[in-house]
Amino acid sequence: MNPTKMSERLANRLKERRTELGLTQGQLADMCLVSRKTVNTVENGVFVPSTLLALKLADALQVSVEQLFWIDR
Amino acid sequence: MSYRELPDFDRPTAESVRRTRRTSIWIIPLVILQQSTLIFRHDGDKFSQLVGAICWTVLTIAELWWLLGLPFKWMSERDQAILNDEWSRSASGDAARWGIATAALSGCAMMIARIWVRLDAGIAIYALVNSALIVAVARFWWLDRDESDEDE
Repeated sequence: MNPTKMSERLANRLKERRTELGLTQGQLADMCLVSRKTVNTVENGVFVPSTLLALKLADALQVSVEQLFWIDR
Repeated sequence: MSYRELPDFDRPTAESVRRTRRTSIWIIPLVILQQSTLIFRHDGDKFSQLVGAICWTVLTIAELWWLLGLPFKWMSERDQAILNDEWSRSASGDAARWGIATAALSGCAMMIARIWVRLDAGIAIYALVNSALIVAVARFWWLDRDESDEDE
């Protein structure tokens, strides 16, 4: 297993997929039982979500977690 | 902007609690100033000492509410989950680290200051506790400040 590099970050296509489905941040937040602040910070890469939240977001956006999040090297 | 139905319109929602939490921070410095004038008036009568103690208790509860999120039993499970979601817990944890660091630095500064200044125990406790709590609350407020507009 490779050690995690400091330059690595979690990228996502949350906004892209959300707009495809015509959802607002508030609606997505409601579906996942989190605040809009959480969705906003995850979407902007400020906050790294837990596995549970990542799974919930993927489920709400009808994609797999791998399609939604990836490591940006 | 999205809207949702409020089946219990007379109850506070997670959004209203978060909004109140953001705006109520401005009251805390005023309460601290007011309580400091009461607490350190050693010649004050029992009543003013009691008022001072009540002020401090109220402030402590407000700060704990900010940092820990007291259990709001009247809220729906949805609102409780939103109020204590991952971002809130992460912000609380970060704020707590700032508070601990402030307590450590304040304690160290007071230990150095006592070489030259005679410290009153009451003032020392007041400064140590409140500096840590104020920094923690301010940090939490900064992290949990109003989010940018949708899609920004």
